[in-house]
Amino acid sequence: MSAEIYVTDPAGLQKFYEAVMASHETYAPVEKFGNFDYRQVKNLSECNPDPPIAKTWSIKPLFFPRTAKVMKIVATSAATDVSETDEDPLAAPRVLIGVRHCDARALQVLDKVYSWDYIDTDYQKRRENTVIISARCDKADIHCFCTSLDYDVENLDAIDVLIVNGPDGKVFITARTEKGSSLLNSDVTRHASRVTTEEAAPQLKKQYDSFAASFRLKMDYREINGKLSKIFDTPAFETVSASCVSCNTCAFVCPTCHCFKISDEKVKDTGVRYKSYDSCNNGYFTLMAGGHNPRPAKYRRWRQRALHKFVYYKERFGENLCVGCGKCTISCPVTISIFEVVNHVASMPLTE
Amino acid sequence: MEQLLVPMICRIDKVIQETPDIRTYRLKIKDEGLMEKFSWMPGQFVEFSLLGAGECTFCIASSSTRKGYFDCSIKRAGVVTADIHTQLEEGDDVGIRGPYGNWFPLEDLKGKNLLFVGGGIGLAPLRSLIQYCIDNRNDYKDFTILYGARTSADLCYKDEIKEWQDNKTLKVILTIDKPEDTWTTNVGVVPKILEEVVKPAIENTKVITCGPPIMIKYTILSLKKLGFADRDIITTLEMKMQCGLGKCGRCNIGSTYVCKDGPVFTNEQLKMLPDEF
Repeated sequence: MSAEIYVTDPAGLQKFYEAVMASHETYAPVEKFGNFDYRQVKNLSECNPDPPIAKTWSIKPLFFPRTAKVMKIVATSAATDVSETDEDPLAAPRVLIGVRHCDARALQVLDKVYSWDYIDTDYQKRRENTVIISARCDKADIHCFCTSLDYDVENLDAIDVLIVNGPDGKVFITARTEKGSSLLNSDVTRHASRVTTEEAAPQLKKQYDSFAASFRLKMDYREINGKLSKIFDTPAFETVSASCVSCNTCAFVCPTCHCFKISDEKVKDTGVRYKSYDSCNNGYFTLMAGGHNPRPAKYRRWRQRALHKFVYYKERFGENLCVGCGKCTISCPVTISIFEVVNHVASMPLTE
Repeated sequence: MEQLLVPMICRIDKVIQETPDIRTYRLKIKDEGLMEKFSWMPGQFVEFSLLGAGECTFCIASSSTRKGYFDCSIKRAGVVTADIHTQLEEGDDVGIRGPYGNWFPLEDLKGKNLLFVGGGIGLAPLRSLIQYCIDNRNDYKDFTILYGARTSADLCYKDEIKEWQDNKTLKVILTIDKPEDTWTTNVGVVPKILEEVVKPAIENTKVITCGPPIMIKYTILSLKKLGFADRDIITTLEMKMQCGLGKCGRCNIGSTYVCKDGPVFTNEQLKMLPDEF
């Protein structure tokens, strides 16, 4: 579709957000203990639609909950029965504001695994019922490298409405999809005026160029992907993973990590089955009954993590499983950087 | 996804104590309509829950040609399997999700000599295929079963093995690792007996093997020494799984999902995977 673009100023943008919040169930970055997590909000004063990128959790939990109740278990002396929980995965359509492009990209990457073979209908329903309003970053964080990967940060299908702080205090609001377009009705755009693509394009480009020039981290994705796919047996994985404490934080904050575990808990006669986040960095992740474990050592688990992100998922689903957001690096208690890991390993000589 | 993790409730129809640490649970889906429709292929697996304690992955150890029930043979090996052995008896309810995964390449086996090589609890997935092939006996030529265990007490399915031995169209070779007073036949590990006693013909033969990882490894080496091609050696992989749906990520080996692309692989396919299973 041809883009529908509005221009306004920062005050007009605030009014736009307020109008969206007044008419829709809205989720936005809300500060708690110095970090921002996406929560339901009623007023703009509760949230920050343009939060510091390094301190903002991913939107992943809104689509793939950290913990979900799967079913209830009721046992009697005669029988055991199970029933689905009555929690509605997503009751009402909702709008997300302040979404970073890396996070939006992560949804496109996750769409692939959730829609092959068995379809995750809960995830799909959440995706369909959500309108995503993105806030394009003005400046990269020190751990960001989204522009170095296999995707075009400027054009992402998962973004329904794009917000860009243009030069000279102008703010551009662009509908990128049908969903975005239907959100931008006359009420929410009351304080903005329509501009043509030709008028807006140079200013959007100027903002993007200045954003793209702000990256500390840069790499050649093709070269890294190509080399990693040939370098399974290198001691470099031991070097890069030596300080890892297997805390799994990297996976929990990652917008694309999607491994989960299923666990049952029962007290007396009633129980619950949970589906909750898990991580390949766990020593027990692949531990089998009887003690066999294909990835007993830390370097093997880190190899799995790095290659799953930069090789295997790409082979299987055509997308890189890392979006370059840097959240894992920022959150890592021992400052392991996925960027440094893949670059270091890829710099090793090939043995074949 | 959540609703796909909710199991069907099955009633334990029968418990068979196969060995000191292996029990076979014969299961029937409580909803009779569902039981009638429940169908699986040899080699497929289910997620078995001791409700409230957790789920484990087990292959279905019987063939869908034998209707009205299915078997899971469970070795006491970890926390949940220990709970299963101590808590589940006839008449109890369990949860079952599945069947999941791929199956033995039935079309490729037609018209071939079949050689089954099993060790310990590894006979369970083979038993599903053995029953299936016995029930379609005319589709296959020579039919050989080599089965070994550490001791004679550790041999699974003893009654059924007697039936196989009585079946004149099957050749059954048993072995145990160390001599025992009452044991009158082969002694030695499975790969050794394979090479020295079975000495299988390569021509037009497919080998289907399963057992402890170490046995599979040496069996494949022996088969290669005997001249078998990688594509004629078929095995089923043990890998930690949870969802069975190609989502939870646990069974990944490289870009392969063992729960979807496996658990059955030919040795030709296994050689393409990163060495991490």
